[in-house]
Amino acid sequence: MEDSRSGNSSQRQKNTLIQVSDLSFAYTGEDGNPIPVLSHVNLTVREGEYIVILGHNGSGKSTLAKLLNLVVDDYTYAEGHIYMSGLGEEMRDILSEDMTEEDVLKLRRQVGMVFQNPDNQLVATIVEEDVAFGPENLGVPQAELRKRVDEALATVGMTEYAGHEPHRLSGGQKQRVAIAGIIAMKPRCMIFDESTAMLDPLGRREVIGTMEKLNREEGITVLSITHYMDEAARADRVVVLSDGEIILDGTPGEVFAEGEVLRKAGLDLPQCTAAAQYLQNRGVRLEGSLNDPESCAEAILKAWNMRNTNTQPGVR
Amino acid sequence: MDPAQIVNRVPEGEVPKLRLEHITYRYSIGTPFEKRALDDVSLDIRRGRVTGLIGHTGSGKSTLVQLLNGLSKPETGRVLLDGEDIWREPKEIGKIRFRVGLVMQYPEYQLFEETVRADIAFGPKNMKLSDEEIKTRVSEAAAFAGVAEELLDKSPFDLSGGQKRRVAIAGVMAMRPEVLVLDEPAAGLDPQGRHAIFTGIREYNRLTGSTVLIVSHSMEDMAQYCDDVVVMSHAKILMAGTRDQVFARAEELEAVGLDIPLITRMTLLLIRGGMPLPSGIYTLEAAEEALSVAFGLPPVPPDKEDEGKGGTRSW
Amino acid sequence: MVNISLGQYYPGQSVLHRMDPRAKVLASIIYIVASFLCKNFFSFVLLFASAILLILVSRIPLRIVMRSIRALIFIMAFTAVLNIFWVTDTTAEPLIHWHFITVYTKGLYHALFILVRIVAMIIGTSLFLTYTTSPIALTDALEQLLHPLALLHVPVHTFAMMMTIALRFIPTIMDETDKIMSAQKARGADFTSGSLVQRAKALIPVIVPLFASAFRRADELATAMECRCYHGGEGRTRLRILKYHARDFLVLFALLVLIALLVTINILGARFGWLYTM
Repeated sequence: MEDSRSGNSSQRQKNTLIQVSDLSFAYTGEDGNPIPVLSHVNLTVREGEYIVILGHNGSGKSTLAKLLNLVVDDYTYAEGHIYMSGLGEEMRDILSEDMTEEDVLKLRRQVGMVFQNPDNQLVATIVEEDVAFGPENLGVPQAELRKRVDEALATVGMTEYAGHEPHRLSGGQKQRVAIAGIIAMKPRCMIFDESTAMLDPLGRREVIGTMEKLNREEGITVLSITHYMDEAARADRVVVLSDGEIILDGTPGEVFAEGEVLRKAGLDLPQCTAAAQYLQNRGVRLEGSLNDPESCAEAILKAWNMRNTNTQPGVR
Repeated sequence: MDPAQIVNRVPEGEVPKLRLEHITYRYSIGTPFEKRALDDVSLDIRRGRVTGLIGHTGSGKSTLVQLLNGLSKPETGRVLLDGEDIWREPKEIGKIRFRVGLVMQYPEYQLFEETVRADIAFGPKNMKLSDEEIKTRVSEAAAFAGVAEELLDKSPFDLSGGQKRRVAIAGVMAMRPEVLVLDEPAAGLDPQGRHAIFTGIREYNRLTGSTVLIVSHSMEDMAQYCDDVVVMSHAKILMAGTRDQVFARAEELEAVGLDIPLITRMTLLLIRGGMPLPSGIYTLEAAEEALSVAFGLPPVPPDKEDEGKGGTRSW
Repeated sequence: MVNISLGQYYPGQSVLHRMDPRAKVLASIIYIVASFLCKNFFSFVLLFASAILLILVSRIPLRIVMRSIRALIFIMAFTAVLNIFWVTDTTAEPLIHWHFITVYTKGLYHALFILVRIVAMIIGTSLFLTYTTSPIALTDALEQLLHPLALLHVPVHTFAMMMTIALRFIPTIMDETDKIMSAQKARGADFTSGSLVQRAKALIPVIVPLFASAFRRADELATAMECRCYHGGEGRTRLRILKYHARDFLVLFALLVLIALLVTINILGARFGWLYTM
């Protein structure tokens, strides 16, 4: 597990972990005709990145996530390639015919998924047994199991709930248990498929905090699918999907600069960014990132102070 | 003194649409799980307005909502609808439910009929309305909730999540309640879906003159769509009043850990940094105006407005 | 939130609570056998005494235990009445003789015996299996006890998994039922008045969404389980491993002694013609 992560890091700082190449996908409709979901998607995920995938409901973002874990029902209309490192060869196409059952398990061990509804992904009636579920399936020996469960619960800050019943926990807590269940499989990459959509603000904060911690402290690559723009503001990279196509791919600053494109894709700019961009459009020069209230306020204050010292010397 | 009654004072001569008087409610009484959900709560909901109810999970808002249409009964205190106790005739509580329509959280999971049309008609049918009247109500409610005509004969189970949500809301609107109460009507939807639902609710309020109460976690939605705002915390009312009155106390809201709108947070930071801005800015438009003044920018001529705001329009 | 305690588990630290669940399954089987071995007045006294002793050892309040007995009171009354009227005794005068009703003293005793037997059986199984054992521990125990059947291609693991998932989702679905009922009541549904047919029909708006939601949950859960590398019981390890302790053997031994005593009493009873044998 550890060796695959540090594998070629001496050669390149950031290895490619997943490469989606010209991927198209459609579901089979009731009349037998394909219903297109994804078209010609290209995406490269590098080791250690924190990527947010934005898109309106029905943009195809969840299907993309499910394809990365090979858990869609029907591959009739799957075209293109998804190359994944760490599966034997340098880069293995997981959509190819020669994937064995063992390869699929290996894939799912290294790319963990957390879903939207916290209730529908917990299997056991006791928190710690649920966390153990994944590694149990992998046949991890009992002593190691204990260690992994304890570590995973500590990472998500749920140690004191180890003996609790999941149905008595809050949404945010359940979701953290679900995350612990994935961490216990020691994945390299974690995909969060709208994992904060059903949570209240407090629960969202808990889960986002956990996601960031996993990325920064455990070095786990994070792919988070959402339609909350403030979550995107904190990512390394933002990818925007609209009607099955990638329409933007860049840093949060680069993506937020495309206000009009985002609006057409059914997404909103964070209001603070919108206000800052309004000032820019009216000729006020703002410097630095404009992704969150703090950075916007900083940039606006700086510009305002500059203007005051220039136009009214002596007042300040 | 009860701060709620101070700020949400109804103008003289106006009978509040709904009035809660000293309501207390506990869950699981007599078990180790006993919990006080509402603690001597008094509140007025003003007639014909859209009121937002906000607070953390467990602050008592969902409990409060279920008291308004008599789904549960307060332990102590009274709920007055148009000045009359809704529990005066306990056997007639069903009639109250037609007058105070409640859309619960994730209402799409209550759809059951074979067609969308039949599902929306479920409420009106229970009201024993004539077939003709039911037909009118169904098309009217579908229009308010944004359910397209061609969806009416489909199975509700074949719709997308957002569409199902709108059908469920239409199902309550079709009873044409005098008070429409919605618990997190936009939870989990993307910005477009949220906007569509809230716009429909405002339309219902504007055209029917009914009173609306929206429970939400999102201060941004409150700022955008509500006339009055009520803030709950720990089984009590923390603040109540018009949107302006409540957002003027944005710093207090932040102090109790509520997510104030990003634009409000930014302007608070600017004020702390010394910029002369009014406190309690909660919409993009207000922020743009205030910032223009602070930077000494000339007002935008009306015909150039759209251009000036570039791609920054949020809604 | 609906507050239900699944399977009536009553948390505690008594010897019974700390026993291995497999031992408890065996113990309750032995106890049922014991209750069927009772043949005469003295053996029923002993059985009754042992049931009382079990309650004392488990430290479960009597009122809690009475709850599960009360649940079966109707069946108990019915069986008792049947015995009173149907038992005939050719060697004795009837106690009451009125038209077609004949009651013998033996019948009364038999009714009493049956009652003691049923009560003892309820106490034995509920103390060993439900009050002191969490449902999940019980599932674990059954899976391991039935493990040998896997050799005969009985899908023991699958059944255990199904049990676990059922236990996990019962509270969730109860909660959901509550919510759907409230939602339909808010639309004017009436579940409490009307004829039986009307009331059954009134449940359709609850049952249809409930099933739809259960299927959706099942689908999502299956995907989540796949993502967590579930591929059946093969090669699976377990976090919790069950271990027998001295107390398990002690309790089982005590129960065997009880059986030995009952057999002895039966033999003596037959030999000396003790009261009211069955």
